[in-house]
Amino acid sequence: MVFGRFFNWIINFFRTRQDVRLGIYGCTNVGKTTIANKIAKDWTGEEIGKVSNVPHETRAIQKKEKVVIESNGKKVSINILDMPGLATKVDYRKFLKYGVTRKKAKDRAREATQGIVEAIKWLNNVDTVLAVMDATKDPLTQVNVTLLGNLEARKIPVILVANKMDLKKAKPDEIREAFPQYPIVDISALKGTNMDQLYEAIIKHARKAK
Amino acid sequence: MKLKMDFISSMKLNGKPQKKKINYILNRVKSGSILILDGVMKPEEEMELIRETMRRVDDGFPGIEVCSLKKEVKGLKFLFEKISEGKERFWNWAGRGPTKTDLKTGMTLIGPAKVIKKIKKNPDSFSVMAEV
Repeated sequence: MVFGRFFNWIINFFRTRQDVRLGIYGCTNVGKTTIANKIAKDWTGEEIGKVSNVPHETRAIQKKEKVVIESNGKKVSINILDMPGLATKVDYRKFLKYGVTRKKAKDRAREATQGIVEAIKWLNNVDTVLAVMDATKDPLTQVNVTLLGNLEARKIPVILVANKMDLKKAKPDEIREAFPQYPIVDISALKGTNMDQLYEAIIKHARKAK
Repeated sequence: MKLKMDFISSMKLNGKPQKKKINYILNRVKSGSILILDGVMKPEEEMELIRETMRRVDDGFPGIEVCSLKKEVKGLKFLFEKISEGKERFWNWAGRGPTKTDLKTGMTLIGPAKVIKKIKKNPDSFSVMAEV
């Protein structure tokens, strides 16, 4: 077993991959798909997925491959992986408030739990992560703390994205205070504000896996 | 309705394989107990706890609320924790995982999301709002 692992490590060391797998992670309704759509639209002209106010709209991983982004004369090719929102609870009753039928709410909850399981599994397969937070909300949630702790343990580069900066209640400094050790970019994916800074940060921090 | 709180010593969970530890926690939480552990799980274990919780979500069990406070350790204890982490990483890399791990210094609260409505976390404290 030890030799098998060592052999795989040697193979991986000499193998090169062209594209950086960029995982977009975060709690539900923080704007992950809006960011994924904005990046994809800016560089390929096409969006990735549907956006909704109902939590757990993204219940399966959505991908866009070979998206070449450019900033300050540097280019990097990324595979965007828009992940289902992470959560410690999924209650189908919450979906009923949005006018969904009981059966559809239960189906949605079941798919959402499967999506979370899948997103966690994918932590082993991403090269760099955009950890998205809603700048209008308290960043010190256990999901954020656990996510960042996992990324640190796995030595995966992470860029914090303070999203929804177009809203008056946005307080990105609370994110900076809570997680001072990470690079942070303040954006509004909806309005397209500061996306250049995000692209610059991705090119600076993105790590190609070997 | 009654609220049951179980205060669990880290001795109860230390040295148990990850799967057993998570099973122990989720079985108790699913039966309605709020657990207070005098220790903190590793981030990887916490993520596994979330994943296993999602597998067990059903109509009567929407999931959990969890909050942990990790205490910064210094001196020899810090050294021992680092040696222990290095050992775990090696055995994981060598394919001998999941390893038996100890809880880190700190405190964790885990409870059913049906009862715990909100946890407000600060860097060195947290408050819990529950509804029974």
